[in-house]
Amino acid sequence: MIFFNAEKIRKDFPILEKNIIYLDSACMSLKPRCVIDKLEEYYKEYGACAGRSSHRLSERTGLEVQKARNIVRKFINAGSEKEILFTRNTTEGINLIANSLGLQKDDEVIIGDKEHNSNLIPWLKLKNTVGVKVVICKSNDDNTFNLDNFENCFSKKTKLVSVVMTSNLDGVTNPVKEIVRISHDNNVLVLTDAAQAIPHKKIDVKALDVDFLAFSGHKMLGPTGIGVLYGKKELLEKLDQFIVGGETVTDSTYENYQQEKIPNRFEAGLQDYAGIVGLGEACNYLLKIGMNNIEEQEIKLNKIITDTLAHNEKIEIIGPKDAGKRGGIFCFNIKGMDPHHVARMTHASKNIMMRSGAHCVHSWFNAKKMKGSIRASFYLYNTEEEAKIFAEEIQKILKIAS
Amino acid sequence: MVLCWIALPVFAFLGIFSAKYRKLTKDAFECFYKTTTFRKCESGLDDKIRSDISGTFLKFSPKTAKFVYKNYKLLSWVFVIVLIWSSYVGAVGLYNYLNYGNCNGPTSNKFCLLDPTGKNTGFSELEGDIITEITFPSLEENDPIIGPENAELTIIEFGCYTCPYTKQADETVQEVIDYYDGKVNFQFRNFPIPRHELSFETALAANCALEQEKYKPYHDLLFEKGEILTKDLLYEIAEEVGLNTQQFSVCLEQEKYKNEVEADFESGKSAGVSGTPTFFINEQKIVGPKPFKTFKNIIEKEIQI
Repeated sequence: MIFFNAEKIRKDFPILEKNIIYLDSACMSLKPRCVIDKLEEYYKEYGACAGRSSHRLSERTGLEVQKARNIVRKFINAGSEKEILFTRNTTEGINLIANSLGLQKDDEVIIGDKEHNSNLIPWLKLKNTVGVKVVICKSNDDNTFNLDNFENCFSKKTKLVSVVMTSNLDGVTNPVKEIVRISHDNNVLVLTDAAQAIPHKKIDVKALDVDFLAFSGHKMLGPTGIGVLYGKKELLEKLDQFIVGGETVTDSTYENYQQEKIPNRFEAGLQDYAGIVGLGEACNYLLKIGMNNIEEQEIKLNKIITDTLAHNEKIEIIGPKDAGKRGGIFCFNIKGMDPHHVARMTHASKNIMMRSGAHCVHSWFNAKKMKGSIRASFYLYNTEEEAKIFAEEIQKILKIAS
Repeated sequence: MVLCWIALPVFAFLGIFSAKYRKLTKDAFECFYKTTTFRKCESGLDDKIRSDISGTFLKFSPKTAKFVYKNYKLLSWVFVIVLIWSSYVGAVGLYNYLNYGNCNGPTSNKFCLLDPTGKNTGFSELEGDIITEITFPSLEENDPIIGPENAELTIIEFGCYTCPYTKQADETVQEVIDYYDGKVNFQFRNFPIPRHELSFETALAANCALEQEKYKPYHDLLFEKGEILTKDLLYEIAEEVGLNTQQFSVCLEQEKYKNEVEADFESGKSAGVSGTPTFFINEQKIVGPKPFKTFKNIIEKEIQI
């Protein structure tokens, strides 16, 4: 095991020189210098198209994209590079599946009850346009996944299960392996939104046996506007195209066109090459640090904060009480105080940056009749000292609330 | 929330220089509009300001932060009232400055922020109590007239030849005379400031020049050469303006016009003059070397031009 040192890691992140306490990585991770350099390298050294032209710069771009695809494959332990599709983000990956799976009227899709809008709206749109039925699987009272409820959600018309792997609301990681097993037992495909899981824990798609898995680069130290959709090769080959155009065909006439092979036939138009190579570099960086180390560090910080604050009766934690089950997310409310006020106050007092509001999980808050919450989310560059400062500031605000 | 009423002008001003504040100005306007029409502000700007201010206090004093957070509405009203009051005072000050050269009005010689060098507020103050029951001065036959004879309006000036501010005002006096071309003149009344060396003697000397009908040239040279006044200089000026020096010497040595000067001084005190220069345009007083426009504004209320 590589010795983990957050202080040393921080030196790789230029933005942290600004004397900030950044606790909003669930929304957007900061970028290490190597990723920024990689983006610059693309634009400075070989900023051409991949796979279209035959000159030296184009060949280099093609090679770098291929290398990045391979690193991503390795990062999630996929069987083949062909199973890695580059998208703009998780949302686009989910939309691709929603629009390509050929779901018909009365087909059923099971989703969780605290899905990010990215894994809710595409299905609600299909409900409105095609007549697909969206089945919501209710969580336990502490927001953990209820497998019994889940099993009861299946019917003969269930075609897909699309659940979040780690919730961006409370950090709870769903038992995806079990979910996949149950789904496959029912001959149902599984898509998982891994946007919040991939950056924080080791993911092995083979071990999970998941059919599709979508995630974004920007939450895992990568550039913005780049994401990945993993799909089992045999499923992708059968999947209909979503966005079509340049690069998705091998030939075309005025009447018809010949589809490209996977993965290219899903990657329409000019790709974000800088984003792709930057994402590859981010995966390399994370692999070097070690995903287990990152997960352990986040839970350690979450425990410090939970132990300091959880006993206060004015603190309402969203999710289970056990910090170990909430990964790197501490989502909470202070009774009698607007969450936005708390976030702005800590920002004004100690430069603590976190998110307040509904965190794109409006459906859950609406169901609970809650306005929103404050969410502190940690990553590999956060230190114990930062966790203590955060807890101290919240304690001060608790006095204001009294 | 009423704090938007303050935020709007502040952000609008800052928005001239920075795009960041233009967005805030928009929010403040929305908030201002909604609050003024008794609706809830939706931009959230009031909440942001409340949290940011409380958070800033949290750094230094959690107790103050709590006070601000809990009493935000009350504090907002206090600030709004202070804003309205200070805007009113500021507007009056600006009006006074533009019309009278001093934020505090024509009769004031107090510090004015818009005139930081004190150009218009210079004043040689008389020590001791000032009379509060004012008897406005009337024209005296014996006192010298500066400017045209038989003018429509005579402004009475209480001045001191050794006072730098009276000297400064003398340029404006000439400007007024020239501008109104026959319609306005000044009557100079001696108000020698006791702590100024030779102030009394210069007043006597000017009266001795008046006796020989050479008052104006003597008056002008006194101000022109009066940087370092000595008694010898009074004689030199007399010679220069062509006075009968023997008659002048006797007049000055015997303090012939002592009673006249003292009478001037007393009439000034009765009129509430507290220093020099002080002008009376009928019953309107101007204190200090105010700019031309101050005189113009008052003169044109008194006579038809």
